[in-house]
Amino acid sequence: MAQTNSNPGSSGANSQSGGVTRRSFLRTSAVALSGIAAIAAALEPLRDINDPITLQRFFQKHYKELTPAEMEKVLARIAAEVEKQYQLRPQIKDYKPMDGVEFVYCLNLTRCIGCRKCVHACVAENNQSRNPEIQYIRVLKMPHGSLNPEEGEHNYKSEMVPEKGFFYMPVACQQCRNSACSKVCPVKATWQEPDGITVIDYDWCIGCRYCEAACPYFARRFNWTKPKIPKERLNPNMSYLGNRPRMQGVMEKCHWCIQRTRAGKFPACHAVCPAGARKFGNILDPNSEVSQILRTKKVFIQLKEETGNNPRFYYYFDV
Amino acid sequence: MIRGIRNYFTFLSRCARIAFIGDWRYYSWMGALTVFVLLGLNAWCKQFAHGLITTGMSDQVSWGVYISNFTFIVGVAAAAAMLVIPVYIYDNEELHDLVIFGELLAVAAILMCLAFVTVDLGRPDRFWHLIPGIGKFNFPHSMLAWDVIVLNGYLLLNVHICGYLLYSRYSGRKPAKWFYIPFVFVAIVWAVSIHTVTAFLYVGLGGRHFWNSAIVGPRFLASAFTAGPALIILALQVIRRVAAYRITDKALLTLRAIVQVSMLINVFLLLNEVFKEFYGKSKNISSSTYLFFGLEGHHALVPWIWTAVTFNLIAMFLLILPLTRSLRFLNLACVLAIVGIWIEKGMGLVVPGFIPTPLGEIVEYSPSFNETLICLGIWAFGFLAYTIFLRMSVPILQGRLSRQAEDVPLDEVALGTARSPEPLV
Amino acid sequence: MKQDGKTGMVLVTFAVVLWSLAAGFHFNLWGRQARPADIALVDTNFLSTATARVSAAELFATPGADTSDFDCYVCHEKNKPPTLRYDSAGQLLVPTEHKDIVMGHGSHGRNNNCFNCHNESKLDTLQTRDGRELKITDSPSLCGSCHGPTFRDWEAGVHGRTGGYWDTKLGGLTFKPCTACHDPHHPKFPGRKPAPGPNLLHPASG
Repeated sequence: MAQTNSNPGSSGANSQSGGVTRRSFLRTSAVALSGIAAIAAALEPLRDINDPITLQRFFQKHYKELTPAEMEKVLARIAAEVEKQYQLRPQIKDYKPMDGVEFVYCLNLTRCIGCRKCVHACVAENNQSRNPEIQYIRVLKMPHGSLNPEEGEHNYKSEMVPEKGFFYMPVACQQCRNSACSKVCPVKATWQEPDGITVIDYDWCIGCRYCEAACPYFARRFNWTKPKIPKERLNPNMSYLGNRPRMQGVMEKCHWCIQRTRAGKFPACHAVCPAGARKFGNILDPNSEVSQILRTKKVFIQLKEETGNNPRFYYYFDV
Repeated sequence: MIRGIRNYFTFLSRCARIAFIGDWRYYSWMGALTVFVLLGLNAWCKQFAHGLITTGMSDQVSWGVYISNFTFIVGVAAAAAMLVIPVYIYDNEELHDLVIFGELLAVAAILMCLAFVTVDLGRPDRFWHLIPGIGKFNFPHSMLAWDVIVLNGYLLLNVHICGYLLYSRYSGRKPAKWFYIPFVFVAIVWAVSIHTVTAFLYVGLGGRHFWNSAIVGPRFLASAFTAGPALIILALQVIRRVAAYRITDKALLTLRAIVQVSMLINVFLLLNEVFKEFYGKSKNISSSTYLFFGLEGHHALVPWIWTAVTFNLIAMFLLILPLTRSLRFLNLACVLAIVGIWIEKGMGLVVPGFIPTPLGEIVEYSPSFNETLICLGIWAFGFLAYTIFLRMSVPILQGRLSRQAEDVPLDEVALGTARSPEPLV
Repeated sequence: MKQDGKTGMVLVTFAVVLWSLAAGFHFNLWGRQARPADIALVDTNFLSTATARVSAAELFATPGADTSDFDCYVCHEKNKPPTLRYDSAGQLLVPTEHKDIVMGHGSHGRNNNCFNCHNESKLDTLQTRDGRELKITDSPSLCGSCHGPTFRDWEAGVHGRTGGYWDTKLGGLTFKPCTACHDPHHPKFPGRKPAPGPNLLHPASG
């Protein structure tokens, strides 16, 4: 990338009328040598690369183009890498979407108490970096009377929640039907799956962060350096598109615990919420909780509806 | 055929070697630039190893000085077309030879743009994912995909035009009109497109109210056509002095007219933006409020933007007055305009779009030391590239470096006296 | 030649600068990465999916659990309804034998009659207002007899946390009884200390 004039003066002394003078040759060599030394020393930090790029990873195809056999090899590679780093053999699968399933999430703003258990359950389930900290869910402490996120407080340190005069609004990826993120990604590293989840192929993302700029919900996170997960808290039940450990320089975000939901279970945030504020299910099933909510509750909203992203995440109220 | 190829390689080799010949001032300049390039290279290696945590960016402000500089320099590259239009559409003979210098600036600028984008990527090792046909290219939905195409296309266009015209001159042949004139006209339209596409990167994001406005595109072009020709005015004076190349004041004054009109439009558009944001009581003005007045105790950008506005206004008034027919005041106006627009388009456009975040969080941004070194390194690289291009092209245009004179030793070519240049075409 | 002398000096200076740069790069004299601030791992209590309480139904369903709290006739006499005592303001006086019960079912001290829910004739059962007798483990039917809309939502899985599977083919939802989360005598959902908030990537920039 850098242009260097590591040997200026070389041609200046290469007078075609005569030979190279000894003085000019020595002069040229001295400068050239110092130039080479400076370049070599400048490149030294590359020795600190802690996740060397292998040929297999460099040439790996996009998720949608991997054959089942190739996917098996990829999963084996990932399992080996995880075992090497964390001394724990993971079970990693490529969970496929189910037919006749479209997921929807509903959140009861009357019930959320702002305890943030969902935030940390998500972190534990999905192998997010602890330092630097990545948390998919952001709980806003909102004053009564406004749904404008700019009125909300992010880092409340209350002694007791819920605090009088406030309600709490957790925000994570809304898995939009018309998402800005998948529209702007230059390499199609993020897209909507048929069951509604917006996924990321971590081995394809180039880390340009255009999706992070485009998302109206502050839902996407970037790995600013190599993520750090404590060995004792690693969740070994992993999926390719979901919670396998990510690498430096790629995006990640909430994927509705794809390793759980595509196996019929609830996401971790749903499972831990003490107030039962979170509801999740298949909207194509008329008897699911979410279908009933969207049929019976008078007021349910999509955040920032005017952006036209049409989220699959609805906030609603009881009494 | 073999002789043709051999001739071409001789041409390339002589051009390359002449880049290393100069007087002590040349070596000082190139030496200083090389030092900064090396500093930037080292800083980037640290970033490549440790990740973008070495910068001041965060999830809240995920684009910073790299993309700010990229945005500004795309404008400079687009402005090379501003030299082409008077020459080829209005048959302005004064500027004729200077088209090459403008287009070489465009090439250097595009190289800088590519460098800024590359250092901003989290995974530059995965660059091949962007190549249409080999990777997975999200065209036509993603504006970044459009940007990849238009920037590389513009680079190729300008490299072709300059390369062909210079090689024709070197070979002593009259260049064939059909092999460059159509490309010139395409380049004019293409120049507008590269900056419009870059503007659309921001305009298309409905979740960011600060950017989601129809005025961003026109504002981009107006500021580009102010700062770009201003830079060219300064560069031409340097060339005139250092290379003893004949450049008339009339040429500089034609460029002044372009800067003048563009700056007037730029300031008018600024007034439009300010009115639209602050007249009503809409709730969507947090980013503008942060930029101009500060928000909830955070005001890091306020001094920057007011400096930029002041510089732009002073430059505008200077340009309107006949005062700037004198080169001293013109140069002052140009410097003020360039700095003002660099701030406005960089820190004044990119960073406030992220503050506050779409969820209302305010996290400020300032570039880290490492980030600054990389920026300086790329700027130095740009200056280095442009100097090398000039080092090669000026002797060719002056006829000293040519096929006829291939047996003349290069240091005599480089340090020889200048002859009045003949018109290129 | 003077020019050549100047050029020589410039080149020598340049070489010296390059060597200094090389040394600076090699010994990493600038641009060092600051050690990131420590972020404590979250207390595992915040990761637990246990409910706030253990309901009577769950207690009785657990083999070997201590259900002595529900042996009412160890102290009370059969067929003798206990007397309730109130203070001068009309607030129920909870007997010292039941001191662990905090009354608060209804604001302004309404609903402060134990036998609105408990069956005074058969203390180990519950009763609704319209006289239906319910098992002590059947809190949903009792709570639902007054809290209609909530009961409707609970049956649909919309009120309270459901477990199990969203996929009906794998078993579908499981439900918690009301008293797994709500203290029947003081049912307002308890407040608690929230888990720690988010940490910034660059702590100085907030």
